[in-house]
Parts: sequence; C-alpha cells; structure tokens
Amino acid sequence: MTSWVDASCIIIVFLSLIILSNYRVVAMIRVFAIQSLVLGLLPFFMHASCISSRDVLISLITLILKVALVPSILFWAIRHVSMRAEIKPIIGFGSSIVFGALIIAGAFWISLSLKLPGKPVSDLILPCSLSTVLLGFMIMVTRTRAVTQVLGYLIMENGIFLFAVSLFDVMPVLIEMGILLDIFVAVFIMAIVVNHINEEFEKSAESIIPKIGETF
Amino acid sequence: MLTILILMPFLCGLGVLLPLSKVFRLKLFLAVSLAHSLITVSFWRQMPIQEYHGFLVLDPLGLILLSIISFLFLSVSIFMVGYFQHEPRRNRVFMACLFFLLSTMTIVTVSYHFGLLWVAIEATTLFSAPLISFHRNQQSLQATWRYLLVCSVGIALALLGTFFLAIAAHDVHSLLLPVLLKGAASLSVNWMKLSIIFFIVGYGCKMGLAPTHSWKPEAYGQATGMVVVLMAGALTQCSFLALLRVAQICNKTGLTGFYSSILIVSGVLSLIVPAMFILGERNIKRAFAYSSVEHMGLLVLGLGLGAVGLFGALFHMINNALAKVIMFLTAGSVAQKYGSTSADQVRGVIHLYPLTGVFLIAALLAGTGMFPFGTFHSELLILNAMIISKQYLLVAISVVCLAIMFIGIGKIVLDIIHGQPKEPVLPKNENLFMNAAIAAAVVLLITIGLWMPSPLEKLLHDAVALVEGAT
Repeated sequence: MTSWVDASCIIIVFLSLIILSNYRVVAMIRVFAIQSLVLGLLPFFMHASCISSRDVLISLITLILKVALVPSILFWAIRHVSMRAEIKPIIGFGSSIVFGALIIAGAFWISLSLKLPGKPVSDLILPCSLSTVLLGFMIMVTRTRAVTQVLGYLIMENGIFLFAVSLFDVMPVLIEMGILLDIFVAVFIMAIVVNHINEEFEKSAESIIPKIGETF
Repeated sequence: MLTILILMPFLCGLGVLLPLSKVFRLKLFLAVSLAHSLITVSFWRQMPIQEYHGFLVLDPLGLILLSIISFLFLSVSIFMVGYFQHEPRRNRVFMACLFFLLSTMTIVTVSYHFGLLWVAIEATTLFSAPLISFHRNQQSLQATWRYLLVCSVGIALALLGTFFLAIAAHDVHSLLLPVLLKGAASLSVNWMKLSIIFFIVGYGCKMGLAPTHSWKPEAYGQATGMVVVLMAGALTQCSFLALLRVAQICNKTGLTGFYSSILIVSGVLSLIVPAMFILGERNIKRAFAYSSVEHMGLLVLGLGLGAVGLFGALFHMINNALAKVIMFLTAGSVAQKYGSTSADQVRGVIHLYPLTGVFLIAALLAGTGMFPFGTFHSELLILNAMIISKQYLLVAISVVCLAIMFIGIGKIVLDIIHGQPKEPVLPKNENLFMNAAIAAAVVLLITIGLWMPSPLEKLLHDAVALVEGAT
C-alpha cells in the first residue's frame, strides 16, 4: 500500500498549491475539505494489513471535524456575499505559484538531511508535510482576508497532521483527540471573531454613509 | 485532588452559561477562586499524589506557577466585584471564559506529558481570546484577531516541535517527562535540536518574546485591566513553564549549551526591542505591555544563564506576576474612571483620586524593578548571574535597556499623575474592592522584596534542582 500513501502525500501538496493559486474563497474551502478527506483516509492506507480500532477512531474524528464541521463553519462565516473573493493579496497569484514551487523544492532539500528513525512507511511523508506546513504559512502571510488566513492556518495544521500520522502509538489516543478538538475550537472561535469583525465594519460603514449624505 | 482542582472551575464555567444574575456569577467566581487558592495553599504543606498514570503530577515548578495563578485569579475576582458595579455590559461569556481559563491553566501546571501540555496551552489561548474583545469595537476585534492568529501559528509550531520530540524519543516510545528524562541518553540529538528550535519559537511566540511580540501591545491595550493581569501574569508564564520543561530534558541530554545560547539571544532581543518603542508611547496600557515583553526577556535570560540566573528567573516569575497585578489593575481602574488610558486625555489623577495616584507610582516602581519591590531583588539576581559568567556586554545592554524602560514608563506615568485635569471629570468614589485587590499585591510584593520566607526559598531551591536535574 506504499504507493497509495505516496499518492496521498503528493495529492495533499498539490491541493495546497491549488488553494494558494485560487482567489475564490468558496472554492478554497472546498479544496481544503478534499485535502482533509485524503488526510483522514491516510491511516487506512498506512496500516492496510492490520487496521486497528485506533486508526478507525482517529480517521473518523478527522473526517467529521475537518471534512464536515470546519468547512460548514467557514461557510457560515462568509455567508455575506461581500467577502467571497480575495482582494489584492500581498503577492500576486502568478508569483505565488513560483514561490510555492520554490518552497516545495526547499522542503525536499531540507528533508534529505533529516532521517526518520525506524522504518518509515513512505519517504515522501516528511518532505510533503514540511511543504504543506510552509505553503499554509505562506497563504497566511500573503493573504489579506481573515477567512483566507484561517484557511492558511488549517492547511498548516493539515501538514502537521500528515507528519503525526506517521508517528503512531507515541501519542495516546486521548491526547490526539484533544489536539483535534483544540483545532476545531480554534476554528470555531476564529469564525466567530470573523463574523464580529464583519458586523462591526458593516455597522461603521452604515454610520459613515448617512453622515456624508447629511453634509451634501 | 488535582482532578477536583481542574474540574471545579470547568463545571462552574458550564454552569454560568445558564441564564443567571450578573451578581451571582461574580459571587460564584469569587467563591471558586477562594476555594482554588485554599487547595493550592494546602499543597504547600503536602504535595498531592500523581493521577492518571503519571499524566498529572504537581512538582515544585508546577507549584510555583499554580500559586501564582491562584493568587492572580483571587485578586482579579475581588477587583471584579468593584469593577462590575459601574459596568453595564453583560458578563455571561466573559465569566464562562474566565472559569475555563482557570481550569486549563491548572492543567498546564500539572501536566507531565508534552502532548497534554500542548493541548492545555492551546486551550488557554482559545479561552483568553474572547476575553480581549469584551468591549466589542473595531480596535479590540482587530487586537483579538491578531492575538489569535499570531499565537495559533506559534502554538502550531510548538505542536510540530512536540512531534519532533516524539521522533527523537523513538526508542523510549513515550512523551511522559520522567520516561524522557530516564531515557535521555537514547534521544536522537539532531531531532532534539530541531524540536528545541520549534519549541522556543512556538512557546516564545505565546510568551511574547521579541520579535513575535507584536500581538502584545495591541491585545493588552484593548483588553480590560483584569484580563491583562491574567494574560501577562499567568498565561505567558504558562508557556515559560513549557520552556522550563524543555530545559529539564536539555540538561539531561547535554544540549544545555545549544538551548541556552538561543535563549540568551532571544532574551537580549526582548530587552532591546521594547526599549526602542517605549519612548514614543502615549498609552499607559501599551507602555506596560512593552514592559511585559521586557520581563519575559529577563525570564528567558535567567533560564539561559542557569544556576543563580535560574533561581532569579523563578523568583522573577512570582515578582513579575505581582507587579502585573499592580500595573494593570491600576490601569484598568484609571480606564474605568476616565474612559481612556492615553496620557493625552488622562491628567491629574493624584488630585482627583489620590489613592489611585499612589498606586500608579507603585506600579511604576514595581514594573521597572525599583527598591523595595521584589522585582528589584530578582532583576539583581539575574544581572548577578551575568556578571558571574563574565558576560559584561550583556550586563551593559541590560542595564541600558532597563534604564530606558524606566525613563519611558516614568514619563507617561508622571504625565498622568500630575498636570491639570483637562475637563472637570466628576470624581466618582474610589471603590473599596478594587483598591483592596491592588493594595494586597503592593504589600505582598514589598514584603518579598525585603524578606524571603523560608518555605518560599526552599521551594525555589527545589525547583532549581529539578530543572538542573540534580535530584
């Protein structure tokens, strides 16, 4: 099943690149959901010969939280049409791709000098997770919309999780659940803050317009 | 016992989400903080036994932080009784988050597993974020956003560091602290180094070390004084505890030199950067926030220097927390009286509110480490450690930066205290509860500045021995 694991790793990196080059927030959230789906299925590919209850539990929770709940919360946060497109990113979409490619190359180069102890399932896990983390970081830094920054954070977390999947049985299941829950709550609170920010700015926009109207 | 200490505030936090009266929530918070403090005091006599197969253990390091947290919550809960008499806003989510924060911070102090430690520290970030935007306006929402984003990224890097540690510990197959310390010889050095870097960046971000301190002036400037006390005194020091835990492992694996050189560099940066920004600052809360960056720098420097420096840093944790109570509760009380904390609007505090004026002077002296406050003592210990290790350049930089901080903060505080009130503000009466909370911290900080009780000294020595791996 190593080929399946390799394929999933590459798909995850490609999906991060797609998000990096996209400017429609709705599409970005959908792509993120697909990426999480691949990530959620990864434990099955890794231990295909003997799937334990632990694998089932972790992938089930990942699927529920990251594929279903997180995207729907994000969709709720952007229910107002006005914020569905990313406006003027700090780095343009074209050059983002170039930088993204450089980041991926860099991640592969760094991971040459790092050797995982024991017998890793796939050699691609470390470079792919590093590049996903860095790509997520780049999305966060170069985008101006709050929702897009949340997506960057989530992609970073996905990268970290890709790495964590390869480290079975060091973390107790309960703590891994705690980590997932924390990330979910983080997104929940971020979505609420995004919502408040929208409301406040709309309110202030309304209060400015009549004032200008009065002066004329 | 530890489980009770964690669950009690958590359940109360769920409870206050029910529609209850505002006053009842305050009383419940006061009662819970008092109970929490009493249990913590009982731990000074007898350490509790470990729980959940060694996942929850209280050791001298944890006890120092737990006592700090307990004291801060108690004084904030007393202050709050006075504060909410003049505050029309609803407090349902606010109080619930405070309870959850107490619960998760308690977990931080007793967690002996690096994964659990991460989960707890991340949870403290999440529950403190809604507290910042209590006065919901554009600036406070932006401050909350920045805090959430910067700290979440930092904490995510710390998670990566935790996983790297797990790889380094491939042979011992566990992230429990005692197991790691016992099997320290088998840890992979390269992965360990990588994980150390990620830990310092990640938890340092949460501590507000320069150059990732940018959330601090924003968040501290916008949040109410009570919240900032908890953030500056307890929340940031929770992350420092994580760095102390990493130091425990480093001292066993022979990576002390590597770890401390990074710590010293980031400590020096955290002294220089606030000194650069303080002189142009006009808002007292933002100025105190820069002072908080500086104190975090001192803590990290002390840890990096080791021995006397470590003792000084642990002592400074306590002093810093008490100083923050004085500084930010007084700033909060000024903010409520004047509706602003900018030196351009607030004038003549000592004419209108003499007691608050005196507290402001105390805040200035405590925050900048002047005699007879405890901060003077601990800063001297850290400087002493630099002299002992013959790092004279470091001494020079630190002294200059501390002097600039004193000038900067002194200027703002004196501007606020003296001068004529711009427009005749109707003097409200000073509030007994608010002043009692601040006065208690002043008295305590002066006391430990002049005389160190022997149980405290023993606890600090035990904690130093624990970090250095002598026991």
